[in-house]
Amino acid sequence: MSFVDITLMTVIIGGAVYLLYRSLWKKKGHCQGCDSETCDMTKKSNKKDC
Amino acid sequence: MSSESGVQSSELNNPPQSPLNLRGDKRGVTIAVAGNPNSGKSTLINAIAGTRLHVGNWPGVTVEKKSAMFEHEGRQIRIVDLPGTYSLSPYTQEEIIARDYLVHEKPDAIINVVDATNLERNLYLTVQLLELGIPVVMALNIHDEAVSKGYKIDIKTMEDILGIEVIPTVATKKTGLNDLLKAVTSNTSVHHPKKLNYGSDIESAASAVERQIKNSYPQLLEKNPLRWLVFKLMERDSYVMDEIKIGDNISFIEEATKHLIKAHGDDVESIMADERYALASGLTHEVLKKPEFKKMEMTEKIDKFVLNRFLGIPIFLAAMWIMFKLTFDVSTPFADWMDAMITGPFKRWAEAILGLIQAPEWTTSLATDGVIAGVGFVLVFVPVIFAMMFFITFLEGSGYMARAAFVMDRAMHSMGLHGKSFIPMLLGFGCNVPAVYATRTLENPRDKALTALLIPLMSCGARLPVYVVFIGAFFAANAGTVLWSLYVMGIALAVLMGIIFKKTLFKGESPMFIMELPPYRMPSFKSLMIHTWEKGKHFLIKAGTYIFAVSILVWFLLNLPWGVEHKKDSYLGQVGQVFAPALEPLGFGNWEAASSLVSGLIAKEIVVGTMGEIYVQSTDDTDQTEVPTLTDDLKEMGTSFATAAKDAAENVISTFGVASMSSEESTEETEERTPLRGILKGQFTPLSAYAFIVFVLLYMPCVVVAIAMKQEFGTWKWFGIAFAYQMVLAWVVAFVIYQGGKLLGLG
Repeated sequence: MSFVDITLMTVIIGGAVYLLYRSLWKKKGHCQGCDSETCDMTKKSNKKDC
Repeated sequence: MSSESGVQSSELNNPPQSPLNLRGDKRGVTIAVAGNPNSGKSTLINAIAGTRLHVGNWPGVTVEKKSAMFEHEGRQIRIVDLPGTYSLSPYTQEEIIARDYLVHEKPDAIINVVDATNLERNLYLTVQLLELGIPVVMALNIHDEAVSKGYKIDIKTMEDILGIEVIPTVATKKTGLNDLLKAVTSNTSVHHPKKLNYGSDIESAASAVERQIKNSYPQLLEKNPLRWLVFKLMERDSYVMDEIKIGDNISFIEEATKHLIKAHGDDVESIMADERYALASGLTHEVLKKPEFKKMEMTEKIDKFVLNRFLGIPIFLAAMWIMFKLTFDVSTPFADWMDAMITGPFKRWAEAILGLIQAPEWTTSLATDGVIAGVGFVLVFVPVIFAMMFFITFLEGSGYMARAAFVMDRAMHSMGLHGKSFIPMLLGFGCNVPAVYATRTLENPRDKALTALLIPLMSCGARLPVYVVFIGAFFAANAGTVLWSLYVMGIALAVLMGIIFKKTLFKGESPMFIMELPPYRMPSFKSLMIHTWEKGKHFLIKAGTYIFAVSILVWFLLNLPWGVEHKKDSYLGQVGQVFAPALEPLGFGNWEAASSLVSGLIAKEIVVGTMGEIYVQSTDDTDQTEVPTLTDDLKEMGTSFATAAKDAAENVISTFGVASMSSEESTEETEERTPLRGILKGQFTPLSAYAFIVFVLLYMPCVVVAIAMKQEFGTWKWFGIAFAYQMVLAWVVAFVIYQGGKLLGLG
């Protein structure tokens, strides 16, 4: 296994762990389809800042 | 009603101001929307602001304040949806949230949403809102139903008596909304609330308290509306007393209310409540004319059966069975189609693209055996989840969910709760997380904690993929019934555990509760679509975030130490082997099942994703005869989708007859296209498969529910208890099913 492979693996695993941390812990599981006061709902875009 | 009660035309103590000028900001305006539960506040906001707040035809849908921003005639309007409340007393979390917002955040105006079919009860809150001195515009909502019932509401008289503008609206049809917005935002048309007169005894006591506040505590008026503060001090509202910190200096209140208490022979809070009810009742008699002969309405006719003492629960169970049967029949052909697409063309395309860019070989395996197998096997069940959410939304919108809570009231009392606790539990059928948050509608901490402990036993949508895989593989002929049995088992075990908890952790009697039953309504198709999407998209978000992340990690855990020959020896395999012996008596003591259950602690759908990675990966070396071209793939996708749609339609037609899923030929075809089901048949027996899905139903709540519990209760204690009892319960029930089934010769 080359250095590039090891680096790529580290990046992928790090990214997956960060995604898991961000979606599970950082947001504290609160944003259920943005049905929450923490979301800023605007008519223009209907985008919700979760 | 006191003969002295009524209204007087003097303005409130706060000087009248137009809503737009209150903050000196002519562009921005904040409007709070307040009203009774199920009066249509969220529907009104959705109609006005184009938002997608969750609505349902039952009380208690909104449990926290939510805000939306939109522009109207060049003005930035922030509209705040407050939880539905019957009053502004401090007894429930919703009331506290609503009144804290109105008193402390001081919105520029209030839209008071009043259910025109239930005027008297709604006006009780209106009377209290007028005490706040904030400009109020009343949206007389559900006006069409009131008209169809033959109610005649004298709007002009109501406006004159209350001194506010009253706009008839039908939020579901967007009727009257322009007039409502115009009334709230117009500088000229805003009417200012009149000071309602509560009779000479109350008013003279209030004047005395008012004088004292102005003289001795003027600083309190910076934060609190004067008249509201006066009444709350007279009522000795504990929250207000604590908040304003006047300590023991309450002799002036005692002095001012001495005569009032003596004259009425009751405490001030009760006297005030009586007077407010009297005002609401008097006003209703003044403005509302009901038809003399009341014909039996459709809601009453249906309720005669649905709420019948003996028929109620069987009808509830039958409604659930129909829901699950339809869910399966409608969605399974589409789920099979997605399965075939993901394991076929999508996998081939990913391999082709990675091959084209000459990516390392292991990345191709990561993409196909990890991400596509893991995320893909969860995405396959998106049609099932959306179908289920559609039917749940329909039941919510129709008003049946409130009846379900009502018929369950007796069972709930047996475990020390009341029917209101069943509403968060029903929400748990969609997702346990919002259900945990919905426990805040319950009055006391004991009810909240007990309900939250039982919610994870309600089978959420995330568990559906696991059920569907196993039911499709082992119980295709009775799919709806087997699925129904799991949900009923969840409810039955919740009742059983509730009784056990009542006798151990939560001793005490359940409080009395009167359940409000809204009329049956046919939800609009648009509303059904929007709310099905709102509920279901959560699973798509999950698939794109932590299921994606876990799929990658599971792939690495299955391939580390690097170059491991047998998956059994991988890190994940080793973890599975640690737990497998404990699962042996349950009929699925292999490392694959154990590893899947461990990864499913993050989210239950991941059980299927991990199985996809473990099983399909190990049998991937099926011989490819001829690789189809991109055109072939696209053509196949189109034709197989059309076939799936046709099968779904046929299944719906034959829901109460012979569903096409029971056809042997179609089952074989399905297995050919969905390899995981075929592999599972070699790993499980029908009995061990059923024990496995029951274990998945019952074993610990997912991580997100754990976090929600911590957030809601401020401690890990309740999650700890839920984790412990659910693990034991899951093991015991799965053991009884498997070993009992074997004894009965079912194994």
